[in-house]
Amino acid sequence: MRIGIGALREKRAARASRILVTGGAGFLGSHIAMALLQSGYRVTVLARPAKGLSARARVDRLAEWFALEDEVRRRLAVAEGDILDAGWAAAAAEGRGNFGAIDEIVHCASNTAFAERKRAEVEATNVDGLENVLDYAARAGCGFFHHVSTAYVAGRRTGACPEDWVEEGPFTNVYEETKARGEILARDVCRAGGIRLNVYRPAIVYGDSRTGRTLRFNALYFPVKAAVYLRDIYLADIRERGGRKAAELGVRLAEGGGLVMPIRIEVARAGGINLVPVDHCVRAFMAVFEDGLAGGIYHIANPRSTRIEDLVAFGRRHFQLEGIETCGPEAFTARPKNALEILYDSYLEVYRPYMQDTRSFDTARTTPILEKQGLVCPVFDYEVFSRCMDYAVETDWGSKLLAR
Amino acid sequence: MPKIDPEALASASQCRHYAMCKIDYLATGLCPSGPEKRFVTYYPQGRMDLYRGLAEARIPVTEALLEAADTCTLCGVCDPQCHFATGLQPTSVMRALKDYVEDYRRENGPVVPTAEDEGLRRIREIVGRDWASNDPAVLWTYADDPFPLAAPQLPRYVVLPGTREEVAAVVRLAGELGLDIAIRGNGGSVFGFVFTDGIVLDMGRMRRIELDLDNWVAAVEPGVTSFELQQEACRRGLRVNAAEPAATVCGNIVCTGTFSTWSNVYGTAADNFVDMEFVGRDGRIFRLNDKRGPNHFAFEHRVAPSPGVCTKAFVKLHPMTDDEEGLLVPFEGLDEAVRFARELGQRRIGLALAVLGAHYIATFLAPDEGLAGRLKAALPEVLGINYVVFTIADKFGREAIRKMAPAVIDSSLLKLLMLGLPRLVEPRWLDLIREYEGAGRPFELLCRPEMRPVVEAVLQPSPETISASVPESLRSFYRELYARPEMTDLVWLNMHRIVSARMSRRKHMIAFLIYVPPDRLDVIHEILDGFARVAEEHGIDHDFGFLTPMDLGKRAILEYDYYIDHPDPEEKEKIARAMPALDPWLDALAARVPGVLSLKYVFSQGCSRKDNFLYRI
Repeated sequence: MRIGIGALREKRAARASRILVTGGAGFLGSHIAMALLQSGYRVTVLARPAKGLSARARVDRLAEWFALEDEVRRRLAVAEGDILDAGWAAAAAEGRGNFGAIDEIVHCASNTAFAERKRAEVEATNVDGLENVLDYAARAGCGFFHHVSTAYVAGRRTGACPEDWVEEGPFTNVYEETKARGEILARDVCRAGGIRLNVYRPAIVYGDSRTGRTLRFNALYFPVKAAVYLRDIYLADIRERGGRKAAELGVRLAEGGGLVMPIRIEVARAGGINLVPVDHCVRAFMAVFEDGLAGGIYHIANPRSTRIEDLVAFGRRHFQLEGIETCGPEAFTARPKNALEILYDSYLEVYRPYMQDTRSFDTARTTPILEKQGLVCPVFDYEVFSRCMDYAVETDWGSKLLAR
Repeated sequence: MPKIDPEALASASQCRHYAMCKIDYLATGLCPSGPEKRFVTYYPQGRMDLYRGLAEARIPVTEALLEAADTCTLCGVCDPQCHFATGLQPTSVMRALKDYVEDYRRENGPVVPTAEDEGLRRIREIVGRDWASNDPAVLWTYADDPFPLAAPQLPRYVVLPGTREEVAAVVRLAGELGLDIAIRGNGGSVFGFVFTDGIVLDMGRMRRIELDLDNWVAAVEPGVTSFELQQEACRRGLRVNAAEPAATVCGNIVCTGTFSTWSNVYGTAADNFVDMEFVGRDGRIFRLNDKRGPNHFAFEHRVAPSPGVCTKAFVKLHPMTDDEEGLLVPFEGLDEAVRFARELGQRRIGLALAVLGAHYIATFLAPDEGLAGRLKAALPEVLGINYVVFTIADKFGREAIRKMAPAVIDSSLLKLLMLGLPRLVEPRWLDLIREYEGAGRPFELLCRPEMRPVVEAVLQPSPETISASVPESLRSFYRELYARPEMTDLVWLNMHRIVSARMSRRKHMIAFLIYVPPDRLDVIHEILDGFARVAEEHGIDHDFGFLTPMDLGKRAILEYDYYIDHPDPEEKEKIARAMPALDPWLDALAARVPGVLSLKYVFSQGCSRKDNFLYRI
């Protein structure tokens, strides 16, 4: 190993390590970068310019969102770069681009698209981009590589999924496949280069369970956002245009002032969705980061999955949306899907394996570390759901976030 | 001197010379003085030039200028006409011109008299006093157009002959006086060919159309526009292969040969007419079918002179069936779109046929440039549509296409999309589509017939919805316009080509047209990449235009467009630097690849048989 555990501990304790966080302008990457900074580390965030903003400007806006104090900000450096650029690693290794000496890398950059039609771009980020980062790690004298992966590298396995390497599929989609390939790639390069490697495998990450705050509104949020959007469309149709379009699909005003929007969502009888709030995810990451120095694979999952029926009930209650219900496949034999159900079904198709998940993610390696700090994954109940959705609505599902 | 209003001048300088104010394509009626006076000077286009001419001190105040200003009634009819195609609203310029003239009179400014010289006297003997002019204001409106590389050139006379005999007499007189002749159809000139220091013949008075239904032919005089001929043919349930709506039929045939998306079935060049009548350079009248006449069906691979002044074209009429409808087949990539279009051509499926890029689709569908810009971005980025294969087909053709294509936007869905366009590009809806991770592409979901009720609810398609995107002063006009069924009917829109006139709305467009072999995707990419590279090198705005297969998919015509803000001198510099890079490259490509030919070599040889330039043996 390039660095012994003792030396690593010393350096960490002195907060002398400079840590590079890739994907540091993303959802999980920014939370981890900020947590590292709050813990006293010196952090360099690697970010791309986007939407007319430089990497620096993007990170500055994130720092505002996190209310990062000036003293902490002084330890934050920003390097503009794209992991997809093959020349990036060489430039970084030569000390160009504001990198300086890097001791550890937390690799969060990832493409989370599932669609097969996006294979090229997903592979580019999750495999080729990672390869570039690993190349840099090998050249730059990085001693510890922290690879943020996903619990879903388990692919189509059933039952208990161990904290172990996944050498082959089958996988549900290109995301799972490339993340699994990425882990193996990281393992091989780190082994060859004597670099310590931790692999972090969170399940589905949503907003902060205490405040509802988040930077991303996909996964859990997406079906809710779609339902709320359609609710608003039909409410406007009823209130402003006589409701002809609403009536075509049986959408009507509910007695209590809400809306009845008949959508049946097909779900399996068993299973649920494994939801981890970002606050817990980051705390778990930091605990493993500090404690898991020998290297290994760590699941960050919720021991209690949430049933889709419960999620639907939360949504009904919170948004005054009646008529959305879960059912088995037999329901559609009696009455075929209407246009809303086809739309919903098409959207949920890719999420279905995660909605009715019967797998359990073994946490034999993670749990003792979390228990030492008394960390328990919060239950996803109605209060948490409400907090998250209030924040989503307040920020118009992200469009008002990070506004200039 | 009276003051020039800078905003009006900016508008006047943007006039694209598309002559859409000279045809009644929106059934609004025309500027009253135009059809009476006929000189372009008395149309909004001419008045835009006059205002610019005054501002740039190019012209004095003359009697014709005063008359042009006075005959404007400020009726406002030019606003919707011009806005529909170019986004401009000329009334403010018309008002500024009238204000200028009023102030000038108040200040007792001198009106420069125009003396009749001997040449004009003799021309007027031929065409009549009212139909020839040497007034500097009139001459100025025939001296310039947006093509940035041709400097303004004032003719000595502008003449509007009324008959072929008058044309012949003027041509002979010009020969005697040693004056060059330029023939002006209706619109602008792509490459500045309609200017001369001699005589400009404006054919605007020769406007007869005679339909010979037994022979499926329309005898058309040279002042007739494509729109007018198509309108006349449609009244009889017939169709012609039409050029841009304001382009004159004869002028277009002679210049490049008429090509359109309908060239897939109707062909181009000599395919479009049965015979043509000309006045030769020597003043003699001849027909192309005359065995003893010159052979203009042949093609020479060089820039050649035109056969003369076309005085009549016998244009082919085609039957229509009552089950024709438009279809768009969306594609993510160009290659798959070209292959699909070619296959339709080979299998003789469909009538009109073209591959269009996102820029064309967005511009065709959106009545406002801002909306077009949002749609252009959303089509590829959110909906996954980079190209569409556009086709008009009867019910049998449509059935075949549905079986061949993964998804189609049929005429009813297209109507929803058009009338609901502002809501299609709303951020909340786009966000929702963007996050669609299904196996198919987002547009496939939208195209599913079962989805129609949701699409309708989201888009709320109506004339009110679409008209919300245009300036408030024009909303009620657009509301009424889009309530008319033809405005969302792809068959009508495409055969009259009124939306394709919008292509210059963003900026003045310089269109490069190349015949290509559509089976050679490598060559097509080489051409597209070449145009894009040169444009990028010189900082020129550019985009793919369209590709239309013809002759059973063996050949196609490809358009690539450069866009420039033509009044900006820097833009003029850019295009001046870029143009020399294009010709040698294209010539070398044409020499290497059979079937590649730049349309510039067909200029003035539009009467030739297409086989003579599409195939080289």
